This record gives sequence, C-alpha cells and structure tokens, in this order.
Amino acid sequence: MGYQIHIEKFNDALKALASEYNIYAPKRFIGGGTYSDTDRIRYGEIQSVEEIVFDVKSEFSYKEILTPISQTLFYFTEDEVKEADGPTKGAIVFLRSCDLHAVKRMDDIYLRNGFEDFYYKRIREKTKFILMGCQEAFESCFCVDMGTNTCTNYDAFVNVKDDMVYLDGTFTDLLARMEEAVEVTVSPDFVTETKTKVHIPENLSLDVMDSSMWNEYNERCIACGRCNFVCPTCTCFTMQDVFYEGSDQKKTGERRRVWASCQVNGYTDMAGGHSFRGDKGQRMRFKVMHKVHDYKKRFGYHMCVGCGRCDDICPEYISFSACINKLSDAMQEVEK
Amino acid sequence: MRNEYIPFLSEIKEVIKHTEIEYTFRMAFEGEVKPGQFFEVSLPKYGEAPISVSGIGEGTVDLTIRKVGKVTGEIFEKYVGDKLFMRGPYGNGFDLENYKGHEVVVVAGGTGLSPVRGIVEYFSKNPEDAKGFTLITGFKSPQDMLFKEDIKEWANTMNLIVTVDQAPEGYTGATGLVTKFIPDLEIKDLEDVQVIVVGPPIMMKFTVQEFLKRGIKEENIWISQERKMCCGIGKCGHCKIDDTYICLDGPVFNYTKGKLLRD
Amino acid sequence: MDINTKKLKKNAFRVTKVRGITASRVRVPGGLINAEYLGKIQEIAEKYGNGTVHITTRQGFEIMGIKMKDIDKVNELLQPIIEGLDINQEVPGKGYSASGTRNVSACIGNKVCPFANYNTTNFAKRIEKAIFPNDLHFKIALTGCPNDCIKARMHDFGIIGMTMPQYDASRCVSCGACVKGCKSKSVGCLSAKNYRVERNAEKCVGCGVCVNACPTGAWTRSQKKYYRLAIMGRTGKANPRLAEDFLIWADEDSIVKIITNTYKYVTEYIDKNAPGGKEHIGYIVDRTGFMEFKKWALDGVELPEETIMKENVYWSGIHYK
Repeated sequence: MGYQIHIEKFNDALKALASEYNIYAPKRFIGGGTYSDTDRIRYGEIQSVEEIVFDVKSEFSYKEILTPISQTLFYFTEDEVKEADGPTKGAIVFLRSCDLHAVKRMDDIYLRNGFEDFYYKRIREKTKFILMGCQEAFESCFCVDMGTNTCTNYDAFVNVKDDMVYLDGTFTDLLARMEEAVEVTVSPDFVTETKTKVHIPENLSLDVMDSSMWNEYNERCIACGRCNFVCPTCTCFTMQDVFYEGSDQKKTGERRRVWASCQVNGYTDMAGGHSFRGDKGQRMRFKVMHKVHDYKKRFGYHMCVGCGRCDDICPEYISFSACINKLSDAMQEVEK
Repeated sequence: MRNEYIPFLSEIKEVIKHTEIEYTFRMAFEGEVKPGQFFEVSLPKYGEAPISVSGIGEGTVDLTIRKVGKVTGEIFEKYVGDKLFMRGPYGNGFDLENYKGHEVVVVAGGTGLSPVRGIVEYFSKNPEDAKGFTLITGFKSPQDMLFKEDIKEWANTMNLIVTVDQAPEGYTGATGLVTKFIPDLEIKDLEDVQVIVVGPPIMMKFTVQEFLKRGIKEENIWISQERKMCCGIGKCGHCKIDDTYICLDGPVFNYTKGKLLRD
Repeated sequence: MDINTKKLKKNAFRVTKVRGITASRVRVPGGLINAEYLGKIQEIAEKYGNGTVHITTRQGFEIMGIKMKDIDKVNELLQPIIEGLDINQEVPGKGYSASGTRNVSACIGNKVCPFANYNTTNFAKRIEKAIFPNDLHFKIALTGCPNDCIKARMHDFGIIGMTMPQYDASRCVSCGACVKGCKSKSVGCLSAKNYRVERNAEKCVGCGVCVNACPTGAWTRSQKKYYRLAIMGRTGKANPRLAEDFLIWADEDSIVKIITNTYKYVTEYIDKNAPGGKEHIGYIVDRTGFMEFKKWALDGVELPEETIMKENVYWSGIHYK
C-alpha cells in the first residue's frame, strides 16, 4: 500500500517536520556552477518538494550532510579540549537508490572499521532517508551492474508525478501526517537498465598495478580530486589544527577534518618527506581498485555504487566506468 | 558514546636527547600498551603525528620523536612538566609471545629502532626467554645514533652490531648498510629463528631479501610499516594499502602478509 | 559615373581600388549570427559580387566585387540580414544608415568559453542598440575575461568581464588548486593561510580562474556581473597605444551610459576640420584633457559602491608624431 497526496499537502508535512529535522535534497543553486551563468545541483536545505531537482543528477552527493566537507571536531586551549556541538535537529535526506547504497559503505567505514566515529554516529542516528525514485537512468549511471539500482532500506520513498506525491515507507513522523492522502498501491521507481555498462573481471587482483593501462592517466589526470569529492562512497579526510588570530588567543583554536582525495598531491606524504604513488596513473589504480576490488575483500561487497558522478565531473573526460572496462585486458596483460 | 578523537593530556616526565633532532619523551601513561603500537601525539594548533612507542615503563611510555615536520618541531620546545595531547595506543604492536622461546634477530634502520626498542629491552632484561638474541642496528652516521646509553647496556646482554652508513676517518665501529651483516650472521637454527625488520621501505625490502636468501621462512619474518595516518582508527584512509589499514591491521605484519602490501 | 562617395561610405559601402567597384560591409554585433544569414550573404556575393567574402577583423563580412550601380539591389537583399540581426535602421530597404561607429565586436564569451564571465554578445547587442546608427568613429569591443582575446585594449572602449569570486570556507579542503591556478594562470592574488585561502582584493583582476580550479565549489562566481572598462586604446599612425583602466568592478548600465555620453562629448569637441569628419576619440581626449572627458562621460552615471574609478588616466604607447 501507500499514499497519494497533493504536493501542497506533502509540503505542509515537510513544514511540520522542519521543527525536528533539517530537510536536505538535491537543489538548484542558480549561478552557483563552475562556469559563468551555470547552475550547480547539489545538496542543500529545502522547504518544499518543488525545490528538489529530480531531472538532473546532483553534482555532489548527500555525503556532505553526514560528513561535512569541513567539520570542526573540537575546540582547544593549551590544556583543555571542548567537543564541538552536534546538530540540534535530525536530518531528512532525499536521495536515490545508488546513494542509499552508498550510506551502507559509509556506515561500514565510520561505524565498523575500527572504533565508531563519534561525529558520524551522532548525525547518522538522527537521519531519515527518503528515496527518490528513478524513472530512467542518466547517461553515465551504471547502478544496475553494481547491484544498487534497487533498495528496500529507505525510511520512505517518494515518486513525484505532476502535482502529486506518491509515497510509502516506515517513517512514521512523515506518514502520520498523511491524513488527507488517498491510499493507493505504490512502489518506488527503479531503473532496470543503464546505457553505461561495466564488467569487473573475476580474476582481478592487485597484480593489475603492473599493467600498462595506467600509464595514459599519468598524462591525462590533473590530480584535482573532483572524482573523490563527488563520490558518495569516498570517505577519506585529513585533520587540520587551526589557531585563532589575536595575541591573547594564541593558544586557542580548533581541530577539524576536511575531505581528502587520494588523487591530490600530498595524500600519502609522511612527516619525514617519504610519499607513495607519485604517478597519477597509480593513484588512479589505487582509487579504481579500492572501488571495485579491495574494499570487497574487506567488507564483502563492492564499494562503487555506479552513480557515475566521477565520470560526469572529470574536467579531463576521464571515465571511471571506461577504466573498469579496461581491467579485463589489463589482467590478461599481467598474467602473460 | 565514546569520542575517540578527543585526546587526553599527558605530562612529560623526562626528556632524553639522542641527537640534535631526535629526543625521547617519557610520557605519563597508565594502561595497556605494546611495543610497536603508536600514539597520535599533538600540540593543538600544529596538528597530530603518529609516534610509535619506543619504550614502556611503570606508568610511562617513551615516544622517540624525530624533528621532521612542524608538529614534531613544536614538541621539541616542550620540556619536563609540560603536557602533550595524546590519543592511543593504536595498532597491533609486536606480540612478545611470537618471539619467546625462539632465537630472535632484530634489524633496525634509523628511527626504526624506536618501535622495536621495547622488544630489545625485554630480551635484554630477560635473555633466558629467547634462545639467542641479535640486534643489528644501522644509522646514517655516528651523530645520528639513537639510544646510545641503551646500546652500551645491550652490548653486554646480546649479540649487537651497530653500524653506520658513513663515518668520519678514525671511526672504530662497524660501517656499511645493515644488509652487509646478514649473510655471515651466525644463526643457530634457520628453521626456528624469528626475524624482525623495521626501517625505511627500501631498507626493509633489501634486508628481508637477505634473510630469504638464507632460507628463513617468510612466516618467521616480521616487519613494521609506516604510513601517513591522520586518524589512527581506520577512518581517514591515508594508510590503506590494498584491503589493509596499517593503523588497524598493522603496523606490524608477518611477512607472509606484509609482502602483499604494495602501495 | 556620378557617385556621392560620402553617402556611399555612410551607407556602409567602400570606395575600392577599382573604379566603379565597391564592397558591402555587413555588421554582426557581438559576433553571433544565425547560419541562415550566411546563406543571404552568399546570395549577394554570388549575384552581385565576385563570389568572395572577406571576414573582417571586427567580425563583419565584406562582400567584394560589387558594381556601384547595383548598390540599391544589394541593399534590398541586405534587408533581411539587417532585420535579422536587429540593426537600428533609418529607412528600411536602404541598407545601413551609418558606418562610422564600427561593429561592436566580442569574443565568444560565456556562450562557449569556460573562462568568460558574461555573455559578451548580449552586452554587445545592447550597446549596438544604444549607439547605432551613430556615424562617429567609435570602436568598442567586449571580452569575457582578462585574457582579452578580442583585444579590447586596442579599442576606444574595451569592456573586460570580471567576477567577484565568492569564497565559502566551509566547502574548502585546502587542496591548493585555486592558489596554484591563480599563481600560474593569473596574477597570484591568492595565498593559503591557516588552511584557508586569502584573496588580495587589490591585486585580484576578477578573472575567475579560482572558481574554475576549485574542485568542491568553495569558490563561486558573484551573482552580479562586473566589468573593467579600459578606454582610449588605438592603433594607427601617430600614437598607437593600449587602453588604460578607467573603471574596475563597474556595471553594465554605467558603461552603456558612459558610451552614449561620450557621443555628446565627441560631438562637442571633435575637430570640425577633421578629414572625413572622422577623428579618433582618444586624440580628442588628448586635446581636451582627461578631466573634461570624464566630466561628460560620468554625467548622470551612478556607479556601484564597489566600483573603483581612476581619478586620472595616463596613457603611453609609441609616439611617431
């Protein structure tokens, strides 16, 4: 079963929920794109369904809500630390199936790989996920091949058609506000086919690092890190200690963490000056293998969710999916 | 909910100066800790750095710090009675049980001596727990030598080779890379000996090769890896190699696993 | 043959080397043209010209080899082009009403170019509407960014697009791409401090390289568009020189007003004996002094608060006279 409700009534429910939740969805930032007179679609707070952009893939994923790009961990003086306050409200996040699968990856890293991450957990526990159905895949999507095109672990789902919202789920705070809705049978929209297809070879191993396939990326990649920053499953960060300006406050400041990229210079730099993977091709290999090989060795399933954002964003038109599809030949090359 | 990122304050109990740029800070610490584990040591405003435990005492841990980055540079301004922020210990460390009852050879290059110093100390004090104990430790030059007082002491309790890559004229000690001493090293039982190798990546690679040439089994060789570690707790990603997180699964690895770690 | 060459020139035809043969000059404000008009130009060239077209430096077309006796017929065929490009015209069907004020040219701008900070064509068309068919000798060019691909600095009015970069520190990961980009591709006005980026506003030329370099969208363009107005650049014989900055961080309205004001100023001060009634504005400014020009130019202009106006402007260039 499920509900059909007029968009305005649904918006009323969102308005009511806003006292307990910040509501996030992919939305249009007019003029906020990289180039002049272009918009950027990324996550931001919304008040109504109309603000949600359904027909364009968001450039950045939902992940900045759970792990902000730059997040203060604590404030310090010379001999004291004070934990940074958490969000007062919970979060409602509208997201697609691929991204909901990405949440599982973040959970595994932040909650189950070593100690629980305090900062992640405190927002994660208060987050509700509302699935945005996909009627068709975008050009670069390959969720079907990654097995992320369908899901069931959402708190609610919505399909928006014209001025009607169709929804169902288990998120009682939301569903309890559907008094004026009509009960109908609804199910989330899932795609079953994508134009972009990937094949991950069965015999893939780290030996592929010796393949010549990586060489082209030495020249092509500019090590900007966009592929990592837009990726819903990349979780790396770097710590920064910042002290506040002003003589009387010289010993006060904050420690924060900011997103890091394995493609950007400095990622492996150690204090003594030693670093690893100087070649951009090998950095590409490191990233690709993490997404479709070694993460699975550790956690039992592939990290990449096939959202294709890395393909969409690369200023050098390097395609991650095209790279995956070169791995079979590369394995043949190294196994000779 | 425990917040693993919040450091605790620890008092500097003693500062031991080895060289111009290498000091050992004896820090107050109560709790379980193993040699080869590490702490994230910080001075707020300068940041954190992973520092391996170079000694374990009653209510203290030793952190040997080489002045290389801005974090460690600042720590050198700290003296006895001052405090440092620390988190840890993290990582697996060396498990003494793997070495007790065996013949043990430790090869350490430069600051690589720090993470194994706890092992060396143990067997120096409890020589009867091993069938034999050899330490080969190499430094760039006599000026770079660490733990000089300990080395004097160790000379009495173990087979000790201290070598320097380069020495001024008139230097009477051994010279040459640590690898030079492995082919002729007297090993009683090649089947049983446990070998620990710690140092810069290139040194570890060639040292391990020398031992393999002598027929020592891979499963009897142990290494400790050093990588950039921002969090120390499996989150930040910087230290990952293949499916291994150095901070969680290491930094100490049996060579059967360690040899698979290709960056 | 009895031809009024003054009228012919004003009608955007040319007196050529070959007696009785003229060329028709088609203006394309902002350099953007629907392809269908290329077909019309082809038709004129093949029917009345010698079948060839020269592409001018000012983004016009010069249809060559036209017999002077065919001017009326050519003007008839030009009519759909003039209308299609929305050119102000005094008498429909009679061709261009003026030629002294040159085609307002523009680089490709943000229609295509990732560096451009605005739609150069749209602004060029707005200026064209405001100033044509004036016959005074004005040269105006618009360029999308300080790269100045249109060479706006060789014009009486060179309009250079700027953006006021907006920095959202909460999206910054200290990757250094903007600092590096500004240093290597622009003026080096960014520096990293305390894991954040500081912009030297005095040094910044508003090129937007930082925005293009930023992988996280920490840098974005300002909603408002800004322009650098460089004035009185010129080529030519006596004293060729580059235009110098008059306004920095100016707005579109002010620039249009300043240009239309300048027509009044030139009408007042032009050398009445100038050959062909044509005198470069820059030489008039040299004669009256910049302050007099400025007084006329800024009449009724309300500059935005953030605009930097040069109190005085000094030019250099090569002096041959």
